[in-house]
Amino acid sequence: MVTTVGVLALQGGFHEHLSLLKRAAAHLKDTRPAIWQDKELSFIEVRNPRDLSRCDALIIPGGESTTIALAAADCGLLEPLRHFVKIDHKPTWGTCAGLVLLSEEATATKKGGQELIGGLDVRVQRNHFGRQVQSFIADLELPFLESIGESKAYPGVFIRAPVVEKLLTSDGPGSKTGETTAAEVLAVVAQKTPEEDADQIVAVRQGNVLGTSFHPELTDDIRMHVWWLDHALTPSFQKENA
Amino acid sequence: MASSNSSTGANLATPATSNGPTNGVPSFAIKAGLAQMLKGGVIMDVVNPEQARIAEEAGAAAVMALERVPADIRAQGGVARMSDPGMIKEIQAAVTIPVMAKARIGHFVECQILEELGVDYIDESEVLTPADEAYHVEKHGFKAPFVCGCRNLGEALRRISEGAAMIRTKGEAGTGDVVEAVKHIRTVNADIARAQAALKHGDGAIRALARELGCDAALLKQTAELGRLPVVNFAAGGVATPADAALMMQLGCDGVFVGSGIFKSGDAAKRAKAIVQATTHFRDAKVLAECSTGLGEAMVGINVSSMPASEKLAGRGW
Repeated sequence: MVTTVGVLALQGGFHEHLSLLKRAAAHLKDTRPAIWQDKELSFIEVRNPRDLSRCDALIIPGGESTTIALAAADCGLLEPLRHFVKIDHKPTWGTCAGLVLLSEEATATKKGGQELIGGLDVRVQRNHFGRQVQSFIADLELPFLESIGESKAYPGVFIRAPVVEKLLTSDGPGSKTGETTAAEVLAVVAQKTPEEDADQIVAVRQGNVLGTSFHPELTDDIRMHVWWLDHALTPSFQKENA
Repeated sequence: MASSNSSTGANLATPATSNGPTNGVPSFAIKAGLAQMLKGGVIMDVVNPEQARIAEEAGAAAVMALERVPADIRAQGGVARMSDPGMIKEIQAAVTIPVMAKARIGHFVECQILEELGVDYIDESEVLTPADEAYHVEKHGFKAPFVCGCRNLGEALRRISEGAAMIRTKGEAGTGDVVEAVKHIRTVNADIARAQAALKHGDGAIRALARELGCDAALLKQTAELGRLPVVNFAAGGVATPADAALMMQLGCDGVFVGSGIFKSGDAAKRAKAIVQATTHFRDAKVLAECSTGLGEAMVGINVSSMPASEKLAGRGW
């Protein structure tokens, strides 16, 4: 049976994700043949509900979240995406703009707000670090990568990046998704500026949904993609989220 | 010279001439990375906050803040310069998407000012009156990334050598005639095909072609290996309809700049949205037919073939 992984291709860095997914899949087949050798994988661009209906897992790439949300609404993808993430509980990973779209709440949005898909009980702040001249690369500690045998620092590329400013389940109004497991912080980055001196949350996971502020698709480091495929498409994950 | 930033290199296709991170200047990866995030999007010329909001609501991936759209610069003549910083700030305050602005070719002080304003991308643009007849701006030292126009591969690679992190076709701005933009992307594509043929004959052939095109040989070789420009390449200069946008996408552009085409047309909001849809679904003729329907009047336009060479903007820069 073919397993299909889609990348939402309405706008942004979808080619970059597809190229890393293919490299990550080849790596898994090489290094973990017992599980991966016979798995037939297909990677597709998703532009409409028909494409989405073929997918077993999905990546929402970096780009402009307002643009992607408007494009998704125009082509009738918003509700199918919400269904995919929150009812079918299929593995979904959002990077940067993708994290914004997978959050239940977002601040610093355009006037009048923007549509979100949701799935993560978090509030994100768009463009937290400022404009493009404040964009940066930082080494990140991602201990979970040890599960694929890799522990060296991961290059986090932050471009006009959002951060998770609040976990909605920790206090305040509580869960919006109605999921029993809360969002879990996977990574932080230290921010030291005159205004801020705190760890900012830059990666979260809740059940089937993963969100990262940074852009693995702008690196040639395949580890995040290897880890996500391994978690999203192997039976242990699917049992956990059944 | 290979990038010193190799751990984040290949998927970015960091140009062979780019430096690693230096002294507070973000690495090339960061500069080019924003352009990668704009791919598949439309960047719209706007002259005030109201137009910027219309662009944002239509789904623009970014806006270009300027005082006069190219059609007006063309009609009114005179020296066209960087916009008033006050106007750029108003537009930055009005929208949450990236805001770009134009500086004159070679006018590095206008670039310093735009960087200070926190402009997300600086367009060193032939649409404004050039400030230097010999040199383009040395762009590597700026924190802000640059986009520059080109008519062919040699020109694109010269700009990348100077530090441009994004390229666009020059086209012929302010005309609403897409013919020059088509010529420029086709020329770039044909030049890349020649470079790929040269690559098969070895480094000597690449160096000979680099001499002919007037560009860096290492960059040319990298372009041949990639089969495309090593940075993001948008269409610009004459795009006026959804079909024009999809045409440029099908010819291999990564996204589209629309200048006068939107706010010089009958129903700007509707046309803006239609051009965004056409850029997203550029291969889907059904969507293209739907979004091309009932847009009202397009900008009047000027036929480039009837235009004297002295009035063409694309000849500015080299």
